[in-house]
Amino acid sequence: MVFGNAPRALRPYICSSCAKSLKLRSRKFATAASPDIYDVACVGGGPAGLSLLTALRSSKATSHLRLALIESQDLDRVRKWNLPPDQYSNRASSLTPSSQAFLSQIGAWPHIDTSRVQPYHHMRVWDGLSSTARITFDSPTPEPAIAHMIENQNLTRALLARLDSLEPISLLDKTSVREIHLGPPPSPLTPEPTYLNLSSYPHVTLSSNQTIAARLLIGADGPNSAVRTFAGIETRGYDYNRDGVVATLKLPSSFAHHPSSPRGVTAYQRFLPSGPIALLALPGPYASLVWTTTPSQSALLKTLSPEDFTAMVNAAFRLSAVDLNYMFTLPSNQLSEFQWRDSVHPSTASEAKGEIPHLISSVQQGSIASFPLRLRHASSYTTSRIALIGDAAHTIHPLAGQGLNMGLSDSKALAEAIEYAVCHGADIGDEMGCLDRYKGEVWWGNQRLLGAVDKLHWLYSVGSGPVVGVRKWGLRAVDVMGDLGVKGWLMRQAGGL
Amino acid sequence: MAHTLASTRLFNLPASFRFTCVNLARTFSVLNRPPPHYAGHVPLNVFERGAVAAGSAIMSLLNPRRGDLIAALGETTATPYFIYRLRDVMLSSPTGRRILRDRPRITSQTMSVTKLRAMAENTVGRAYVDWLDREGVSPDTRDSVKYIDDEECAYVMQRYRESHDFYHALTGLPVFVEGEVALKAFEFANTLLPMTGLSIFAVTRMKPAERSRFWRTYLPWALSNGLKSKEVINVYWEEQLERDIDDLRAELGLERPPDLRERRKAMKEQRKAAKEKREKMGGLMAD
Repeated sequence: MVFGNAPRALRPYICSSCAKSLKLRSRKFATAASPDIYDVACVGGGPAGLSLLTALRSSKATSHLRLALIESQDLDRVRKWNLPPDQYSNRASSLTPSSQAFLSQIGAWPHIDTSRVQPYHHMRVWDGLSSTARITFDSPTPEPAIAHMIENQNLTRALLARLDSLEPISLLDKTSVREIHLGPPPSPLTPEPTYLNLSSYPHVTLSSNQTIAARLLIGADGPNSAVRTFAGIETRGYDYNRDGVVATLKLPSSFAHHPSSPRGVTAYQRFLPSGPIALLALPGPYASLVWTTTPSQSALLKTLSPEDFTAMVNAAFRLSAVDLNYMFTLPSNQLSEFQWRDSVHPSTASEAKGEIPHLISSVQQGSIASFPLRLRHASSYTTSRIALIGDAAHTIHPLAGQGLNMGLSDSKALAEAIEYAVCHGADIGDEMGCLDRYKGEVWWGNQRLLGAVDKLHWLYSVGSGPVVGVRKWGLRAVDVMGDLGVKGWLMRQAGGL
Repeated sequence: MAHTLASTRLFNLPASFRFTCVNLARTFSVLNRPPPHYAGHVPLNVFERGAVAAGSAIMSLLNPRRGDLIAALGETTATPYFIYRLRDVMLSSPTGRRILRDRPRITSQTMSVTKLRAMAENTVGRAYVDWLDREGVSPDTRDSVKYIDDEECAYVMQRYRESHDFYHALTGLPVFVEGEVALKAFEFANTLLPMTGLSIFAVTRMKPAERSRFWRTYLPWALSNGLKSKEVINVYWEEQLERDIDDLRAELGLERPPDLRERRKAMKEQRKAAKEKREKMGGLMAD
């Protein structure tokens, strides 16, 4: 500004052409000092962030927006992700039909390697304390499936491939957020009409020392969101004191989820007192494990030999809670315990009926991992020029497999709200003009889902007493009422159709 | 065998009649019994089980020496829940699991009485054989379990039954009604098997002096020891024979009750002395 004003004071002493060139230079300087301004800057390149940017780019109304993605990981690693067909990532998710429809709508589905995606049509859910209490879900027709199992990396790679195929956006990868602050307050000493008042714009200073400003800053940066902290949005919830143990499992090679008849593919979940264990089919003789259990049990599982770990997984779907608790007290040799117990109470009959999964034969080396489970819900998803999506807004217990789907549904709703605002000439960073629409669309639905899943967790963590009896009758009642449309309703709720 | 005969007879009936019975024949009935789950198993339906339980309860109360009826009562009242609970108790303990894995049986073959007699004084084996000799019973006096449907639970019942004499040896309680009822009360608190609890009704058969001794001394002992001591079903008796019995009692957290035979003897002598005194004094002047 000093340089900008100086020529004016000196004008009588400088010729007009020189004054012009000086002015021009000073203008240039002013532009360089102000930050790079984007319409939408998204922090976090996970499925939620990538799908939002892809949705914005692929929609006619929003394709002209200036977009930036800030991601601390190297995106080339995402692009180059490639596993041989006999290996699967341990992070796999169940994609509901509505999520799948969204991915098709934004053009990402064709980029997915479908040879690594497994649809399933049946679900068997039962109570670990009363084996007669079980519920079966069967999709009435082969299409659509109840859901598709997909590796998270397969999904992010496809989203990135789709994004790369569109008009380029600023991909600031290998870059982390150093600081977020608001722009400087407007100064009364700036008479220039072109001066931009950026005082309400969030400015993100990056690890590369670059600063960008955004009309709308998206927090898609996970449970410990820096954007959420900057926005001062509170989260409610607590830690479950449970770990989610994940692994990639292999079934006998002869058995491959009946590849000839995809109708035979079933997802299994058993509710044990420590938490549910789920086996979800991947293509071929592979399956993905999600086992919710106490931190001490999860620590033990990670120390076991592959044979004993395999035995524990087989035991968790077959043996009583008493046997399992005992096997968790042993430092090793779970295999022999399992073999003995399975010989006393053979599970072959219920296996033949498809009530329980096939015996798994091994676990993929290095695929056993665990993460702590939390319930968190942001009290709001938006403030002025800020919106939260995905895990930054909510973290959920994995028992219903809804975490990823909630993130995608956030992206869809936010992209629609932005599109609406653009079409109607509103400011996309304005709460009333745009963001309230997004929040109103998804917050209550997510709150309901988080609450329902949380209650299921507590209902099934009760180990004895009248609650066990009541829930047994409750589950049976729901199963019997299947013909009255109750199950169809539940499936529609879970599938988001 | 009666049921096979009955079902053969059913299939000899004219077809038209047979088809009307299809529903009946499909379900569990006297005419259509499922195959046994293990050798000697007699599958019963709910009504039959109830009838056997009620009948054996009444008859064994009238004649407490009928061990077979007490056994039938034990088996028919153990399901649902109780025998499974006891099995789970065993499955939660390393020793209990070993017992269920090995399934040892206590018979005169596996428990050689002569070998036990040669053991040192105050060992578990010696106490057991001394108790057998004192009470004049043998390890072979136990029936096989037949009314419990689950094969493993049937073994648990069998094991309880065969260990019963070891519980006698451990507590020193004798076999006549008074000692038996005290031990059953202890077992009820310890194993929760309903038959052991129902057996306490046998107090109605006791003499007033015995009854008051039971209420005052033996029932409180049985309940407190049964609850506070470890589960006796999880003792691998075959491995404990050489062990000092007081050591084992201490490990289980069990106190020995007052010796019932001694007490009865003392009471009897007291009564006898009083009677002699009365006679000597000439009737009315007794006290």
